[in-house]
Amino acid sequence: MTDTILSLSDVGLTLDGNAGPVEILQGISLDIEQGSSVGLTGPSGSGKSSLLMLMGGLERATRGSIQVLGQDLGAMDEDQLARFRRGRMGIVFQSFHLVPTMTALENVALPLEIMGEADAFARAEAELAAVGLGHRGHHYPSEMSGGEQQRVALARAVVTRPAVLLADEPTGNLDAANGAAIMDLLFGLQERHGATLVLVTHAPELAARCDRVVQLSDGALA
Amino acid sequence: MMLSARIAARELRGGIRGFRVFLLCLMLGVAAIASVGLVRGAIREALSDQGAMLLGGDAQYDFTYRRATPEERAWIDDHAAAVSEVIEFRSMLTRGAGDALETALTQVKAVDGAHPLIGALVLDPPVPMGALGPEGGLPGIFLDQILADRLGLAPGDTVQLAGQPFAYRAAITREPDSTGAGIGLGPRSIVALSAIEATPILAPGSLYETEYRVILPEGTDLDAAKTAAEARFEGAGMRWSDSRRAAPGADRFVDRLGSFLVLVGLAGLAVGGVGISATVSAWIERKAETVATLRALGAAGGTIRAIFLWQLAALSALGIVAGLGLAALVVVLAAGVIEAALPIPVTIALSAGPMLEAAVYGALVAAIFALWPLARMATTRSGALYRAGRGRRWPSWPALVLMAVLVAVLLAAAVAFSGLVGLTLGTFGGVVGALVLLWLAAFGLRLLARRAAHLSRGRPALRAALAAIGAPRSEAAPVILSLGLGLSVLAAVGQVDAALRSAIQRDLPDVAPAYFMIDIQNSQLPEFLTTLDTLGTVDKVETAPMLRGVITEINGQPAREVAGEHWVLRGDRGVTYATTPREALTAGTFWPEDYAGPPQASFAAKEAQELGLKLGDKITVNILGRDIEAAITSLRDVDFSTAGIGFVLTLNPAALQGAPHVHIATIYAAPEDEAAILRRVAQEYPNVTAIRVRDAIARVSEALGTIARATSLAAGVTLLTGFVVLIGAAAAGEGARNWEAAMLKTLGATRATILRSFALRAALMGAAAGLVAIGFGALAGYAVLEWVMEAQYRFAPLPALAIVLGGVLVTLTAGLVFALRPLAARPARILRARE
Ligand SMILES: Nc1ncnc2c1ncn2[C@@H]1O[C@H](COP(=O)(O)OP(=O)(O)OP(=O)(O)O)[C@@H](O)[C@H]1O
Ligand SMILES: [Mg+2]
Repeated sequence: MTDTILSLSDVGLTLDGNAGPVEILQGISLDIEQGSSVGLTGPSGSGKSSLLMLMGGLERATRGSIQVLGQDLGAMDEDQLARFRRGRMGIVFQSFHLVPTMTALENVALPLEIMGEADAFARAEAELAAVGLGHRGHHYPSEMSGGEQQRVALARAVVTRPAVLLADEPTGNLDAANGAAIMDLLFGLQERHGATLVLVTHAPELAARCDRVVQLSDGALA
Repeated sequence: MMLSARIAARELRGGIRGFRVFLLCLMLGVAAIASVGLVRGAIREALSDQGAMLLGGDAQYDFTYRRATPEERAWIDDHAAAVSEVIEFRSMLTRGAGDALETALTQVKAVDGAHPLIGALVLDPPVPMGALGPEGGLPGIFLDQILADRLGLAPGDTVQLAGQPFAYRAAITREPDSTGAGIGLGPRSIVALSAIEATPILAPGSLYETEYRVILPEGTDLDAAKTAAEARFEGAGMRWSDSRRAAPGADRFVDRLGSFLVLVGLAGLAVGGVGISATVSAWIERKAETVATLRALGAAGGTIRAIFLWQLAALSALGIVAGLGLAALVVVLAAGVIEAALPIPVTIALSAGPMLEAAVYGALVAAIFALWPLARMATTRSGALYRAGRGRRWPSWPALVLMAVLVAVLLAAAVAFSGLVGLTLGTFGGVVGALVLLWLAAFGLRLLARRAAHLSRGRPALRAALAAIGAPRSEAAPVILSLGLGLSVLAAVGQVDAALRSAIQRDLPDVAPAYFMIDIQNSQLPEFLTTLDTLGTVDKVETAPMLRGVITEINGQPAREVAGEHWVLRGDRGVTYATTPREALTAGTFWPEDYAGPPQASFAAKEAQELGLKLGDKITVNILGRDIEAAITSLRDVDFSTAGIGFVLTLNPAALQGAPHVHIATIYAAPEDEAAILRRVAQEYPNVTAIRVRDAIARVSEALGTIARATSLAAGVTLLTGFVVLIGAAAAGEGARNWEAAMLKTLGATRATILRSFALRAALMGAAAGLVAIGFGALAGYAVLEWVMEAQYRFAPLPALAIVLGGVLVTLTAGLVFALRPLAARPARILRARE
C-alpha cells in the first residue's frame, strides 16, 4: 500500500465576516497518497482556495486536524509552520505573487536562501532554464508577461523539490496556449520528481489529467 | 460653480483620511513659525513701546571715562525738561577682612537724586530712593539679591564698595531701566552719585561711563534733538541714544534670534513639504484610475488638474488655519511662562502680522511641494496610469518655471519678513543644500542597495531589505529626506553649540589667566606687582597701560566709510602704548625705545588686513576727546583667543604723553590659589576690579546655552514634523509589508527573519539620514565657526553619534510598530486580498 502524505479529518473553517461568523468549510475528511495528483473542483465560492490554504498551513483550521507528512499542522505556531514548509511544500497562486522588487532569478532563489542552501543561485538558474526562462533571470516581474511570471512562480515553487505541490488555478489568468504550457510543466515536474500535486481548477479537461478528482460544493465534499 | 470645483467638492466629501500627514505637516510647520513670530513681535513691541522706560528717559547722552564739563552740562540742562546723571562702572564688593574676606564683582550704577526719571525702582524692603543718602554716617547701597546672598548681608549691614563702606539698605527686585540683555559681568549695585564723587573710583583714566538721561521739552522732535546734540558734541566722544531704539543691543538680539528661529521653522515646513509631496503622490497614485477614466470620458488635462488643485487649495487652507489655531493656543497657554522668563515686561497677545507671515510660508511651501507630483502626473500618458509600474516623467517646462517662481517668491518673502539677507540666504541655502544632499543620499542608497544585492546571497533578510530599498517606489526617498532634514537641523545646532563651547574651552588652555584685573592706578602699579610677587602663588603677571579710544578716521576719511562695518570700528576699543612689541611683528619696524617724533601706531595684522590698512596709512584715534593721528609703522600677530592681553592698537608712549590712564593685568595662578590672591588684592587695592576669567567664560557659555536651547526647541518641531512624515511613510508602506511578510512566510521564512529584514531596511535608511545629518552638521559647524565666529572648528563626535543613533532608533520604531500587524497576520487573508 502507498503512504498517505496529506490527511484531513473532519476539518472545518469558520471566518469572521462583516456580518458575523461565516462557515466556509465543514466536515472535510480526505487522504491524499504520496506521488498522486488530485484535482480540486467546484463552483466559485465553494471553498477550494480556502481548503488549499489550510493544506499549506497558510490558514488555520477551526475544527478537525490536518496532517502533512505525519505532522499535525494545527499544533504548530507560525514560525514552526514556516519552517515546516521549507523544502516540503511548494505553492503556486493564481496571481503569481512574485516579489516585485526582486528579479526573476532572485525570486526563484529566495526559498533556497531561506533554507540556507549555499548553491541557491546555481539551482535557481537551472530551474529557470527548465521552465524556459534561462535568459530572463535578471528581469523584474513587471518586465515580464503574465505567462512568464507564472512560469517564474512555478520555478520558485518547485526549486526546493517539495514533497507537496499546491497550485490554485495556476492558469486562470492565462490564454489557452500559455495555460497549456504551464500545465504541461506542472504535471511534468510532478511526475519527474515524484511530488504530490493538489490542483485547484475549473477546467474539466485539466481535472481529468489528475489521478483523482475531488468535488467541493458549498464548503463540503460532494 | 465650475465643473472642476464641483467634482473636487464631491471628492472631498469622502473625507480627508488620506491627508492626515499632509494636514499635520502643514499645521506643525505653520504653528511653529507663527508662535515664534508672535513671541518675537510681542518683544519687539515691548521694546519700542517701553523705549523711554528702558532707556530711563526720552534720550541719553553717553560719555566714556568722563563726566560732562560744566559747560556741556549746562547745554544739556538747557535742552531738557529734566536731567538725571548716572555713572556706570564695574567694581568689587567686599565684606569682612583677612581670610574671612568675601568678595563679589558687581556692575555699579551711581545715580543722582533725579533717578529714575521714568518708572520706579522696586525694592525689598520698599524703602524710598532717599535711603541711598547718608544715614547714621554711612551712605546707602541697594544690591541685587544674589549679591546680598553671596555676601550674607541683611539690611543694615556694612559692605565695602571699592574700599568705601556702605550700608546695605534693600535688595533690587526690578529696575525700570534695564533690558537685561547682553552679557553682564556681575549683578547690579546702586549707590548715590554723591557718595562716590569724592572717591578714587572716578579718578582720571578709570573705566566708567556717564549717562545723562533727559526728558525732552513737550513737542521736541527726536531727530532735531539728535542733530543738535551731535552738532554740539562733535568730537567730544558723546554717544546719543533715544527712546526709538532704547535697547539697540537687545533689539538686535531679539530680531536676529527671532528671525533665525523663524528660518528654522521654515526648515521644519520644508520637512513637512516632503510629507506633503509624498501624500500628494500617494493620492494621485490612488486616483490614477479615476484620472485615466476621466480622460477616457473626454475630460481635458486642464480640468483634471483643476480638480486636484481645488482639493489641494481647500486642504492647504484647512492645514494653515489649523496651524494658526495651534499657534494661538500654544502662545496663549504659554504666555505666562514666556512673559515671566523675559527680563522686560512683555504682553504676549495674538496679532495679525506674524500669523500672516506663517500663513504665507505655509501656502507657498504647500504649493511648491504639492505641485511637483501633480505636474508629473500631467505628463504621464493615460495608458501608463492604468499600469502598475508607471513610467516616471519630468514635469513639463511651464510647471518647472512655475515652481521656480514660487521658490523665488518664498525666498523673497523670507528675506522681506526677516530683513536679514545674509542669514536668510544662508539658512535657505543650507536647507536646499541639505535637501539635495539627502536626495543624493537616498538615490545613492537605492543604487547601492541594487548593486549590493549579490552580497546578500544566502541572507534572505538582508536581500529582502535591500530589494525593498532599491525598488522603484521605495519609501527610501521620503523617509531619508524628512528624517534627514530634521536631523540635519538638529545636528547643525548641536555641532555649532558643541564647537563653540569647545572653542571657548580649548582656546583657553592651561595657560589661560585666572584673573583679569582692571582699574590699577598708575601710582599703584609697582606696589601691586610687589604684593603679587610676595604671595608666591602667582605664576605670571602681565600688565599693560590701558586707554580707550575710538578709531574715527582712516587717511583723513571717516573710518566706517572707508572700511565698512567692523568690530574694531564699533564703539571704543582698548588702546595701549609700549616701547617694545608684545607680539611678533609681521611687517614694518617698531619704534625705538626713546622715539619722540610724530605719533606712530602698530596694528594687529589680521584686523589691519580686514580693514584694508597697510603700512604707512594714517589712522585717527579719539582718546578722551582728543584726536591723535598716527602713521601705521608695523603690524603684529595678535592672538585674541588666549584671554591674555592683546591690543589691536598700540601707540608709541610719547603720543599718549599726559593722557590719564590705568593699567590692566592678567594674573596666572593655579585654581586652588585663586581665592587667596583675590582676597589679598581686594583687601589692599579695593579700587581694583578683578574679573575671574572662569566666571566670564561661564557667562558666555550660559548665554550660548540659552540660544542653543531656543534653537533646539525650534529644531525639535522640525524633527517632530519629520517624524510625522516618517509615520506617514511607514503607514503607507504597511500594505506592502503585509503582503511581503505573507509571501516570505509562504516560502518558509520565520517571523524573526522577516522582522530582521524590516529592521534592517529601517536601520539602513535611518543611518543614511543620520550620516547625511552629521555631514551637514559638520559643514554648518565649520561655516559658522570659521566664517561667522572666526574660531577653529572641531568635529564633536558625541552629539553626532547621538544623531545617527537617534535616526536609526526613530526609523526603527516607526518601521517596527507598523510591522507588528503584518507579522501577526495569517498569510491566507493577505494573499487572498490580492488574488
Ligand atoms: N475573510 C473572509 N471572511 C469571510 N468570508 C470569506 C473570507 N474569505 C473568503 N470568504 C468566503 O469563503 C467562501 C470560499 O472562498 P474561496 O476563495 O475558498 O472560494 P473558491 O472556491 O476558491 O472560489 P473561486 O473559484 O471563485 O476562487 C466564499 O464564499 C468567500 O466569500
Ligand atoms: Mg479561489
